[in-house]
Amino acid sequence: MFSYIKSLEYPVKIRNTNPALAKFIISQYGGPDGELAASLRYLSQRYSLPTPELRGLLTDIGVEELGHFEMVASIIHQLTRDMTPEEIKKAGFDTYFVDHTAGVYPQFASGTPWTAATIGVKGDTITDLTEDMGAEQKARTTYDNILRLSDDPDVNNVIKFLREREVVHFQRFGEALGKTLEKLDQKNVYYMNPSFDK
Amino acid sequence: MENMKPETGSDCGYKCGMLPMCAPLATSWVPPQGENPPMYTPAEALNRGTLFPGLDLPFMNMVNKTNPYAGTPLGELMALAFMVKELQLYLDTHPDDKDAFKALRDTLALKKEANERYVKLYGPLKIEDLENADRYSWLDGPWPWEYCERMGK
Repeated sequence: MFSYIKSLEYPVKIRNTNPALAKFIISQYGGPDGELAASLRYLSQRYSLPTPELRGLLTDIGVEELGHFEMVASIIHQLTRDMTPEEIKKAGFDTYFVDHTAGVYPQFASGTPWTAATIGVKGDTITDLTEDMGAEQKARTTYDNILRLSDDPDVNNVIKFLREREVVHFQRFGEALGKTLEKLDQKNVYYMNPSFDK
Repeated sequence: MENMKPETGSDCGYKCGMLPMCAPLATSWVPPQGENPPMYTPAEALNRGTLFPGLDLPFMNMVNKTNPYAGTPLGELMALAFMVKELQLYLDTHPDDKDAFKALRDTLALKKEANERYVKLYGPLKIEDLENADRYSWLDGPWPWEYCERMGK
């Protein structure tokens, strides 16, 4: 089960309303490489994993990502608080506003709703861990791109924190993949699927 | 290079890790972090987004010097909670590192004290914190996503 802690992992305190930033940062809420995708990817993959260590790691990172999902929502919520129709039109936020007002909806920056089509659950240990490493790199690049586009230091503090978490998660998934490979037949590590074949 | 000198459990410095001498073709390898790696203080770790200087790889050298709750009771608790999370992920792939496990236990004890101090002053962070409360204060604001000038307190 899950239980709620009434605190973020890193503080979100954004002084200035700025829907123009919310327009693209929303991609890390419900976009192709966003935090919801990350959390559901790891929390869904863990059931077929063959060792307690892998089950633990994917649970622990999946739970942290769910916390990041809430942090990105906090950024969007604070960037869009008390915005006026003039600010909305000027920022080009009108296309989002007409559908969701100031609600926080999981979608790509381009407007496509969040979709499970962006995550993989292949049921193969090597394949799933390799996807996870790729996913962390894609999220890191997205945060790099956000840092190039955003000039608000209150926003960028949080983005820098979230970006660094992708680097750490990549390292842990890589270590887990290495431990998995070491246990397999070194003459042919692809002899069978360690998540399925005993 | 300064950081390539052996300083920790790994033979090639805390910014690098040891790869197998000989590994099967068609596999990908990430150098594992050596045991007993250097660590930031909890407050610094929260600012940087990692407990480990070896993994601290910022984009265009953009780094946080502080955070909005630094020096507040909630900031102190967040820093300890973050250190616990980082040690947890480290131990998931290094379960036999006794020093890291001891650091986890010590940090959990400090976090428990910081949590008790915070709850006494500002109210519950989890439902268990209501055990000795005089009323149902769970609904008191602010919720974590709300902008609040005094947030962190």
